[in-house]
Amino acid sequence: MGYSFWLKTWMAGLMLTLMLAGVKAAAETIHLRCASTTSTENSGLFKYLLPIFEKKTGIHVDVVAVGTGAAIEIGKRGDADMLMVHAKAQELQAVQEGYFVNRHDLMYNDFVIIGPAGDPLQIKGLTSAVDAFKKIYAAGGPFVSRGDKSGTNVKELALWKAAGLDPKGKPWYLEVGQGMEKTQRLANEKRAYTLSDRGTWLATKDKDRLEMQIVLEGDPSLFNQYGVMVVNPEKHPQVKYKEAMTFINWLTSPEGQQTIAAFRDAHGNQLFIPNAK
Amino acid sequence: MGLRLEAASLRKTYNSNPVLRDCSYAFAAGRTYAFLGPNGSGKSTLFRILALLEQADAGQVNYLENGAALGQNLELRRRFTLVLPRPGIFNTTVFHNVAYGLKIRGVKSGELEVRVREILASVGLAHKRGQRALDLSSGETKRLGLARAMVLAPEILFLDEPTANIDPRNTEIIEDIILRMKAGGRATILMITHDPAQADRLGDELLYFKDGRLLAG
Amino acid sequence: MSDLLSFLGGLDLQELWGIVWLSLWVSAAALMLATAIALPLAALLALRRFPGRDAVINTLHTFMGLPPVVVGLFLYLLLSRQGLLGFLSLLYTPGAMVLAQTILAWPIVASLAHAAIVNVDPVIRQAAVTLGATPRQQAVTIIKEARYGIISAIMAGFGRANAEVGAVLIVGGNIAGYTRVMTTAIALETDKGNFELGIVLGIILLALALLANLALRRLQRRGRGAGLEMSSWA
Repeated sequence: MGYSFWLKTWMAGLMLTLMLAGVKAAAETIHLRCASTTSTENSGLFKYLLPIFEKKTGIHVDVVAVGTGAAIEIGKRGDADMLMVHAKAQELQAVQEGYFVNRHDLMYNDFVIIGPAGDPLQIKGLTSAVDAFKKIYAAGGPFVSRGDKSGTNVKELALWKAAGLDPKGKPWYLEVGQGMEKTQRLANEKRAYTLSDRGTWLATKDKDRLEMQIVLEGDPSLFNQYGVMVVNPEKHPQVKYKEAMTFINWLTSPEGQQTIAAFRDAHGNQLFIPNAK
Repeated sequence: MGLRLEAASLRKTYNSNPVLRDCSYAFAAGRTYAFLGPNGSGKSTLFRILALLEQADAGQVNYLENGAALGQNLELRRRFTLVLPRPGIFNTTVFHNVAYGLKIRGVKSGELEVRVREILASVGLAHKRGQRALDLSSGETKRLGLARAMVLAPEILFLDEPTANIDPRNTEIIEDIILRMKAGGRATILMITHDPAQADRLGDELLYFKDGRLLAG
Repeated sequence: MSDLLSFLGGLDLQELWGIVWLSLWVSAAALMLATAIALPLAALLALRRFPGRDAVINTLHTFMGLPPVVVGLFLYLLLSRQGLLGFLSLLYTPGAMVLAQTILAWPIVASLAHAAIVNVDPVIRQAAVTLGATPRQQAVTIIKEARYGIISAIMAGFGRANAEVGAVLIVGGNIAGYTRVMTTAIALETDKGNFELGIVLGIILLALALLANLALRRLQRRGRGAGLEMSSWA
């Protein structure tokens, strides 16, 4: 094979690649970028929900799934068009600071406190999450924290604060900086207690063969509220505001809310309870 | 025709080793010169300097035509060629190796094919034209090196140890090729050899290289 | 068969194919760009002397050791809306991944191609000169002589690009169906505890690496050897 042949082949390949990239960009369906959390993505909700929405509106939603803190940061920087996270206090703060607009409650799931199968600290029977935390603190845990500014982490820290306690730095308090699955597996190995969201717990307890159980649930302080909001177009003019609002409007409409309620995980559990007003 | 080579008082030192002390000679056109001398005495260096591959520290190399010295440019360099003891065969087919010199001179494919085929036949490598050149035996490699040079019909041909380290049969073949070139009558051939008998067989004149100097035999 | 499908743990074959195809496509594009930068540079460094050449070669070797996540971070800051290249809207698109892989692969291609050219026996240039080649023709001849080593360099670069996780995760966002490649998918599935799926993807990656290595061996045999041993896969 002559060299001019390979050179020409290579050049053709390069041109083709560049052209395809350009064509792709032009001919694509509208891409709406939504920053969300890893736990939401891992629950399978998007895989279920987005095709329904795209079929209805032709809008394709790209989900960038990171930790809550990162998702909010991405929205602030204008690298996404909208957010779906579960950290209401932080969301409202960011709206107040002018980064986001049109925030709506969307749905909730709840957090649960999980612990080793034998429940050595006898948390079971308590009804208040704050009381449970006080008991864990007094006994010296062990307790595993996500330590990553995620929604779960934020809720956990709020509970410690409500209990008037600060476990940071204690040897029995392990901050792992990981996602929820990994955190659970770690708690399992350390025979520790941790705060998880029901969705992740249900989806993974059998799969990961966790020798753990729910020791406390149902306390309203454990509700995990999901919200949606659009990046403020005044701060970032390139935001696909119209499309984002189409999505948010659909999600909060009776039709969208019913679709969310109908979502089941692989075990047939309903993971999210819609509560948009 | 009538390209003539002259060496005048060439000096070359490597690492304070005087390799050429004062080499001078005027080579007549169309004659064959055999260079004899001890190993590592600097004959190859002399050839490289004469073939304008290297610069001498002092002295001159002159190429003359009709009494006038020619400018040492690309045009001149393409009128002669040197076959190295390790010929530097290219990693491609036998055919493309021989065609190389013609290709870079812009010879068109029709004429190129004819000339290459002719030379391959004359060195006995026609049946291997499509083979990977690096797969040839050492004797065949030497013949290929020779073919690459011959296809260019050089007016002056430098051969550095054309039959060193190869078997007697290949030696015979190569000597035959050289004799046929001589019979053609036009090229000036300068040849380094270790074998006085070979020098006698092939050379019109014998030159001895000793202590960095050239002495007529 | 249903066992096999359940083994695939919820990832349907179309999704799997999409991931594999995207991985190959992105890496191929990255290599084309990387080669465009690396080969001319390698030839220049190998064949021409100029002041500061050694410094450039040293810099090149340093670039090879760039931590990929650092590249990812810098690229992210650059491509983000607020970054210098934000207007290109490349963040979280395959284009950003191509860029990341290009940046990581080109020093490898340049370094190895440079070595291949430098290792060409000096007698080749001499032979070219004796046969009447101009300096430009000599350069072309030397480069042609190094072609197998150069192809090996490109394949090593491809291997590097294909194996990249950190940087493409950061600038690509691992978006399902859009910027999810084999490596980021493995990272995701492992994180989710879907080890089986991670293993399937890993096997595919390894199979590709094996194929490439076999091709590499064949190339090395056809080349002059020149002592270029290349274990190219991270």
